[in-house]
Amino acid sequence: MSTESPTPPAPSSPPFAPDAVKPPPVDGGDPAFRRVLVVFALIMAVLVTVVVVSIRNLNRSVATADWVNHTHAVVGEAEAIASSLDAAEGALRTYLLTGDRRDQAAYQEAYAGLAEHVDVTRALVRGEPDAAESFAKIETLLEDRAGFARAVARAKQSGSAEELAKLLAADADRGGIHEIRRLIQRLTLDQTNLLAARDRAAFAQAETTRWSVVAGLVFDLLLLGGAAWLIRDDLAARRRAAAILSEANDRLETKVRERTAELAAKNEALVTQNLEDRWAQQAMEHQLRYNQLIINSIADLVFVVTKLVNISRINPAVVYLTGYESAELIDEPLARFVRLGSGAPAGESPMFDPIARALQDGRDLRDQSATATDRHGRTHAVRFNLFPLRDRDKVVGGVVILQIQPAAPVPPS
Amino acid sequence: MPKHILSIDDEAPILDLIERFLSSKGYRVTTAQTAAAARKVVEVDPPDLIITDLQLEDSDGLKLVEELKVLLPAVPVILLTGVLFDARAIEENIGKRVSGYLDKTAPLKQLLQEIHRLLGD
Repeated sequence: MSTESPTPPAPSSPPFAPDAVKPPPVDGGDPAFRRVLVVFALIMAVLVTVVVVSIRNLNRSVATADWVNHTHAVVGEAEAIASSLDAAEGALRTYLLTGDRRDQAAYQEAYAGLAEHVDVTRALVRGEPDAAESFAKIETLLEDRAGFARAVARAKQSGSAEELAKLLAADADRGGIHEIRRLIQRLTLDQTNLLAARDRAAFAQAETTRWSVVAGLVFDLLLLGGAAWLIRDDLAARRRAAAILSEANDRLETKVRERTAELAAKNEALVTQNLEDRWAQQAMEHQLRYNQLIINSIADLVFVVTKLVNISRINPAVVYLTGYESAELIDEPLARFVRLGSGAPAGESPMFDPIARALQDGRDLRDQSATATDRHGRTHAVRFNLFPLRDRDKVVGGVVILQIQPAAPVPPS
Repeated sequence: MPKHILSIDDEAPILDLIERFLSSKGYRVTTAQTAAAARKVVEVDPPDLIITDLQLEDSDGLKLVEELKVLLPAVPVILLTGVLFDARAIEENIGKRVSGYLDKTAPLKQLLQEIHRLLGD
């Protein structure tokens, strides 16, 4: 058995109700707000990517610059070795020719300078296997040259011209200087090629950095444009919603004003009608009271009779003059108390009643001779008047007015 | 500023109804149940129009009208009475002494029309 309670029906709103148009919420539940947040997150991601790529390329450029400087140093030192070698060879030959101690010191100093350049170059190419291998060959040849220099110097110092000539001739056949120059040129060429490759790599890195920055900037600008479009679109939607809301409010206020005015007019009409009704009622009561007062003030006897000539109402003069109470007369035949003419006694119904006949015909009877019998059986001569009562041309009864004659009452027979 | 109407009648319910009705129509209404009270109102706060009954406790309405006309000759007077006169009597006698005549069986709307006619609203 299900215990679920029935779902209440959703309340329906009138089309002009203010909550029919709601502005979007300005919190995390707002789709436009979420979209703008996503766009700004993308912009931030692009910026971070560009910064990371740029920093990495900057580091690479710095490393490349170090390598370029290093390569230039290797090339410079190789060229310095070649120059120092030429200078040392020249100084050695000068010493061999002169045998002077100053020239000996000069060549020894030149070879010492050459050794320094060799040490520097070895240190520079230590991290480059190919260059180190090439330089090792040069270094071997240079050591040979140094050994040769020491040998010829000793031959010179010993004064053995034959030994000296033999060493020089052997050196001319080996061609060691040319080989060293060739290897140095090759090393220089290799380093120059490496420099060109590193220049190309540095240019490629710079291009990468440039394109990363440009692409990131363009992408961010596009995203910013998208965000601006989203914000503008959202603002426009909010303005439209606000305008619709304002319009709905205006319509509602107009309807309320119209309805209020309508209700006020109806209320005023009701108040006026109520006053009119009360006025009519008091006027009727006043008029009724006034007419009653007039009738009650009349000294003549007034009877209101039905169409069958039975008494339905009397004025105080009847009670006063006949001695009957009102209850004794109401619904009694008028003929019991009043008779037209002067012969027949009251209370006896004639074969032909002229009063009933006149009522049937709707005729007046005016100033007729008649007699009225009081409670004590005395008869009074009166002047009889009958006026039919009409309701929309239909006779519904009559009014009988008896005027008392000044004559003395007739004693009962 | 609302126009001032003086209503004279010896019956308080009638004065109350007239005051409510004419106040709801924008008039300022003062009531008097006796001729003496009416004279006092006329002296202190002269009305723009007078509505009076014929029968008063301390005077006759037409007599009072004659007295008030001396004080305010230009102010229109409406005779509002429960005594029903025939048209000839109104034309030959009462009509010359008052600006308008209405019996109390006439609706209030008719009284308002008569007031509008006499005040030129």
